[in-house]
Amino acid sequence: MAKGIRDKVAIIGMGCSRFGERWDCGPDELMLESYTEALADAGIDQNEIEAAWFGLFFQEQSAGKSALPLSLALRLPNIPVTRVENMCATGTEALRGAVYAVAAGACDTALAIGVEKLKDTGYGGLPERSKGTFDDLWLPSSTAPGNFAQLASAYAAKHKRPMEDIKKAMAHISVKSHANGKLNPKAHLQKEITEEQALGAAMIAYPLGLYDCCGVSDGSACAIVTTVEKAKAMGIKDMVTVKAIQLAPSNGFEMSNSGWDGSYFHTTRIAAQRAYTEAGITNPRQEVDMMEVHDCFSITELVVMEDLGIAAEGQAVDDVLNGVFDRDGEVPCQVDGGLKCFGHPIGASGLRMAYEMYLQLLGRAGERQIGSPSIGLTHNLGGAPNRNVASVSVFGLHAG
Amino acid sequence: MSEATNEATTGILSFGAYIPRLRIARSAIADGLAWAMPGARSMGKGERAFANWDEDVITMAAEAGRECLRGSAATVNAVQLASTTFPFLDRSNSGVVADALQCGKTLRTEDLAGSRRAATSALARLALTPAAAESTLLIASECRETRPGSPAEMAYGHAAAAVLVGAGEPIAKFRGIGSVHADLVDQYRSAEGEFDYALEERWVREEGYFKLIPAAISAAMENAGTNLGEIHRIVLPASAAVARGLARVLKVGTELFTDPLAAGCGDCGVAHPLLMLASALESAVPGEQILVLGFGQGADAIVLETTPALAKLQDGRGVARTLADKRVIDNYTMFLSLRNQIAIDFGMRAERDNRTAMSAMYRKRDDISAMMGGRCRECNTLQFPHAAICVACGARDAQTPESLSGLTGRVKSYTEDWMAYTPHPPYIYGNVEFVDGANIMLEFTDFEAGQVEVGREVRMVFRVKDYDHKRNFRRYFWKPAPLTATTEETGNG
Repeated sequence: MAKGIRDKVAIIGMGCSRFGERWDCGPDELMLESYTEALADAGIDQNEIEAAWFGLFFQEQSAGKSALPLSLALRLPNIPVTRVENMCATGTEALRGAVYAVAAGACDTALAIGVEKLKDTGYGGLPERSKGTFDDLWLPSSTAPGNFAQLASAYAAKHKRPMEDIKKAMAHISVKSHANGKLNPKAHLQKEITEEQALGAAMIAYPLGLYDCCGVSDGSACAIVTTVEKAKAMGIKDMVTVKAIQLAPSNGFEMSNSGWDGSYFHTTRIAAQRAYTEAGITNPRQEVDMMEVHDCFSITELVVMEDLGIAAEGQAVDDVLNGVFDRDGEVPCQVDGGLKCFGHPIGASGLRMAYEMYLQLLGRAGERQIGSPSIGLTHNLGGAPNRNVASVSVFGLHAG
Repeated sequence: MSEATNEATTGILSFGAYIPRLRIARSAIADGLAWAMPGARSMGKGERAFANWDEDVITMAAEAGRECLRGSAATVNAVQLASTTFPFLDRSNSGVVADALQCGKTLRTEDLAGSRRAATSALARLALTPAAAESTLLIASECRETRPGSPAEMAYGHAAAAVLVGAGEPIAKFRGIGSVHADLVDQYRSAEGEFDYALEERWVREEGYFKLIPAAISAAMENAGTNLGEIHRIVLPASAAVARGLARVLKVGTELFTDPLAAGCGDCGVAHPLLMLASALESAVPGEQILVLGFGQGADAIVLETTPALAKLQDGRGVARTLADKRVIDNYTMFLSLRNQIAIDFGMRAERDNRTAMSAMYRKRDDISAMMGGRCRECNTLQFPHAAICVACGARDAQTPESLSGLTGRVKSYTEDWMAYTPHPPYIYGNVEFVDGANIMLEFTDFEAGQVEVGREVRMVFRVKDYDHKRNFRRYFWKPAPLTATTEETGNG
């Protein structure tokens, strides 16, 4: 049995661009923005980076395929660059590549960077895309909100909760994330909303209203990682290490078999269990101090509380309404505003979540610092409830 | 007789009909037009049937054909599809229908066009065909677009009807046929034109219906060795006013003429004679002689005689059920938009390129046309799409093809998506569960917002999945739709 990557790799520098409708920037400028911050944070020379993993989802709409968009934008010294794509888990996938390379000893210092430039499509929401030659013949031409919205009807039916309760919990989630986003100067949406606004908003895909949906944003985030030994040698005392990065893609069970009831994320449950094992976590509700989950839609945040083992089965609605995941709650969730308000430039999102964990663990989150957390969890979900890629990562403070 | 029909062994074995659920109140059309043509209000009575955005001649034909073949053990040797509004000029329309109905691959498919008599002429031809141990599924389907403000806009309907003709135990035998030809251009649609161009009704009545139809009837009576006094019902695809006039000409009672379905459906062109025949067969008793007429640049007359076997098929198939299964709208712009007569701006999402990979479609043709999934021989799990490796037990290459198109599904989760593009917002889709473990996320049709709920049962219907307006192509797949009255009764029984 492999030992995994727990505490083998340290994050020594991170950066994140301002997220939002960046009419002023293309993907090149966004990457440069996050990279410049990370390099300064790490205090190393660019030439010390030996390899890079580059995450980008919609290459058609933004930067293009291959290693080149990154290598060209940052004028990297011809180091190997691997472009990765795993839908909304793309940013985490980039980090996984860099962390694995360092853990394997293939290189000492590596860069993981993600970017997405979505606001050049000319319309709201995510771009339309083909699903391939066969799936287009039979699958609905669905949208992201429509895909995720289906969770609500299945969850309500399974747990026999009236839709009003679920709508109320979803509104609580969005109000909370907006309040958190207001404290974040890099967030796309920095405005508070009320529960009435959330409940009364225009319907996007039943039962999801406008405020149940995250922003579609431009942005970039990146991490520079190295071995724990090298980090020590650099004199870093408060060290953030990677405790676990796990990935679980669907294999067809949810989409083709009625054993799945449509109300939860099968993959997230699997990835979470693997990540907890890798990180040595036995009681997540007690041990995880904060979370950044894939709140692409409020209903997603609601149901993954159960999938991650933070809320008991069927208890997420009550936990949410009781404030368990609020900034001052038992397990604060989306303290930076989440996808909902920080924004969701797909290729960058996993790294943006890691960025917040990094800042919080080091006590550098400024106005939105939530005390002295020592374990943070991030979670991504790419695709739709019936076919998706889930990632769960755990970051922590390492006693150097 | 030189044209002896095979009345002894050949006949109509079954029938079916389909009228789209959507109806528009004619008063809504009249109201929409009143500013320009106040006289339209006098015609604004009843409803007309119209195809949903995802229905066309092929999909309506598939529904009528499915009704016609319901419960039938007959092998279909030929599928004939009659229409003047085929979606494809060069691609076998009947072939698409045959695949949707799983009629097999060793099959003759034939598209019949060019006249409103295409179906009655085909029926006459089948009556003459020497008996053989085979059967032909003859479907007539019509989806004529109408120019806003034209009389046809209110008068026409969209529908399909089918008969299964062959050797076996006929519900109606052929007694005789008669046809005449005359190039009386009462109305026409040229290859360049989108709409019908119709001439003055009075002329068409006097010179057309009252002269050509009696000529065809005379020929048929002689051929059948019968006379009008023996006829119990007359199927005349024309207005009640024409029927009254023709009754005077023929010296028969007006009660012989069957309901032209004007009040609730409208004139369905090629499909109308078979649609009215299906309606007549629903209530006919054994031993009735039914005279079926076709009109358009001449006339066809076919004499049928019902048999005792008919009673067995008076099981809800036909017109009454599908006519009653309706959703009446009173929104004229919705009607115009669903029929593409006004171009509402649905935003940039409507610009999606729906190019079809034809080689992929061919490779997966059974999956798509017949919703062919697979049943695992190891664990009995049904799944769609079928795959080399079973989704439940992992067995390799162990799946037997099995279609899900005839199954009743159960909604497991759903959404009403107001962001996604569809010609009929909201775009409703969700996960649907079938027997033996199958689950599929599917696009719904014929539901309104607020109608779908978890646990609701649905039936599968063959519909247009996407249009490729750039290349004038359309592709088809199966969608969950509300159960019909019949399926609901069956389900509860």
